[in-house]
Amino acid sequence: MSINRRNFIKSLAAAGSVSLLTIPTSARAAGKGKVVVIGGGFGGSTAAKYIKMMDPAIDVTLIEPNQTYTSCPLSNEVLSGHRDIASLQTGYAGAAKRGINVIHDHVASVDAAKKTVTTNGGQTLGYDALVMAPGIAFDYEAVGGYSKEASKLIPHAYKAGEQTLLLKAQLEAMPDGGLFIISVPPKPFRCPPGPYERAAQVASYMKHHGKAKSKVLILDANDSFSKKGLFEQGWKALYPGMIEWVPGANDGKVERVDAAAKTCFTGLNDHKADVINLIPPHRAGKIAQQTGLTNAQGWCEVVPMTMESTVHKDIYPIGDCCIAGELPVYDMPKSAHMAITQAKVAAGAIIAKLNGLANPQPWYVNTCFSTLAPDYGISVVHVYRVTNNQFVYVKEAGGISPIDAPPLQRKLEAEYCVGWFNNVMADAFA
Amino acid sequence: MKRSMLFLSLLSAALGTASLAHAAEPDVAGLIKSCNNCHGVAGVSVGHSMPSIGGLSETYLLNIMTQWKTGERFSAVMGRLLKGYTDQEIAALAAHYSKQPWVPAAQTLDAKLVAQGKDAIERCSSCHGDTGVPDEDDTPRLTGQWAQYMELELAKYRDDTIKMPHKKMRTNAKKLDAADVAAAAAHYASQKK
Repeated sequence: MSINRRNFIKSLAAAGSVSLLTIPTSARAAGKGKVVVIGGGFGGSTAAKYIKMMDPAIDVTLIEPNQTYTSCPLSNEVLSGHRDIASLQTGYAGAAKRGINVIHDHVASVDAAKKTVTTNGGQTLGYDALVMAPGIAFDYEAVGGYSKEASKLIPHAYKAGEQTLLLKAQLEAMPDGGLFIISVPPKPFRCPPGPYERAAQVASYMKHHGKAKSKVLILDANDSFSKKGLFEQGWKALYPGMIEWVPGANDGKVERVDAAAKTCFTGLNDHKADVINLIPPHRAGKIAQQTGLTNAQGWCEVVPMTMESTVHKDIYPIGDCCIAGELPVYDMPKSAHMAITQAKVAAGAIIAKLNGLANPQPWYVNTCFSTLAPDYGISVVHVYRVTNNQFVYVKEAGGISPIDAPPLQRKLEAEYCVGWFNNVMADAFA
Repeated sequence: MKRSMLFLSLLSAALGTASLAHAAEPDVAGLIKSCNNCHGVAGVSVGHSMPSIGGLSETYLLNIMTQWKTGERFSAVMGRLLKGYTDQEIAALAAHYSKQPWVPAAQTLDAKLVAQGKDAIERCSSCHGDTGVPDEDDTPRLTGQWAQYMELELAKYRDDTIKMPHKKMRTNAKKLDAADVAAAAAHYASQKK
């Protein structure tokens, strides 16, 4: 053991943050709890995997309607043609191989008092701990004229898969000199830089496929956005004159849409387009709302040390459905990376609880890349600590890529984004 | 009386130390889980641009993380992350990853490049060895590391706008023929031990 290691232990003891995670064999044998995970995205899959990996004696069931998962991260690159959608897809064989019971079904209801989950297929499962990771639900009605049905004409493409391909087909079919509108909902929404990265990827397609006279118009309900300075710098350098952003304060908020006439209506203006990508407002996935876990804004609030719901004991909402952090400025972004770290905190807390051990120290980190071109990436990093049972954003750390970074940094970050993607896919699903 | 008190205090000290040592291990396990996202479980990366870090030397890992944290060495992302960790946590991470087994990356390499690499590493081998196993603890092991990651590291050393602390490495990297950068990386990537 090195001196540093010894100091580390001493410092932990001094800080009173000593905790247990490695389960002694005896405790493992005794700790046969049941965990149900709702939702097999980045968060849910990671939680199921880490619980099973760290304590194989726990019975873990993952309930997910789809056989194939399509990653939202990097799905904007399908629009530019830089990436095939198959490269974003994975199944649940990895989970099954680990001994996780995978059920492909929807969840009909959760009884938080009886601690049971019932699937659409009629199966009822008891749980000692429930991980709630259903992602987001769209509030279609918040935009006049929009609906799930209308999303087949005016795609949101904010759940990757069919919707991504639909938007891509519309982009390919639009004429040169046409207008492509991206409508951004009020915060909070998943992948905060997503719409602005999308603008770059759409412009990239236009530039390289004979549509360079076309334009991307971002109609935004908000007055600022993630990595704004970096995006504006990148748009100007890579796609000059092709991308325009209209903030909420300047009549950017889309109130109503006419799907047949391909027109967006803001407070004062009509915008007729060739393609409309309307991202409706979000809230926590339906089953989280139905279980009564959501606050007035539609999100699940959590206890910082464990990710346990502040409403129901033994339910752990993680990923895009939860809201956490120092609101509204330093809240945890709804990203895959964040979902994975939240999942690991919940997994550690659940294992400790089922084994009667002290709760481990939680770690929350976010890394979020945006790719504007194959050799042009930018990022934002967040590190959080839990202090006095509060999420605290570590202001000495984190932040965005420097605006005056050398050109090589943009290339490195584009490459690191791909490396990040391969590793998070493996971390969650392998 | 006196003696029994002494015995008790010794006993509690011994027990305290033992339970602390036991308890601290898993806390590092909690910390490293946040590294897994990008560097893989046990530091085995499956992303070509991300280095595997399990089994690298403690000295090297501690140095590079400290240099990123202080800004002495350029980093695209790592510095921003490490500023959120204490020196003790960074030391614990270095110690932990150095104890993991080294697993060569599962990668497909261009045979021509690998062959060309044998001569291309002329300037590299005095420190990194012929197969990427260094003599010194502060030098990174390259054996079976991701080729793309090593190419990107060389690109940093070859670019004067990027702040890198190691003068000798900078000089030698810049003397490499542009065509030999990928070859040198492929050579070390192809090594098994």
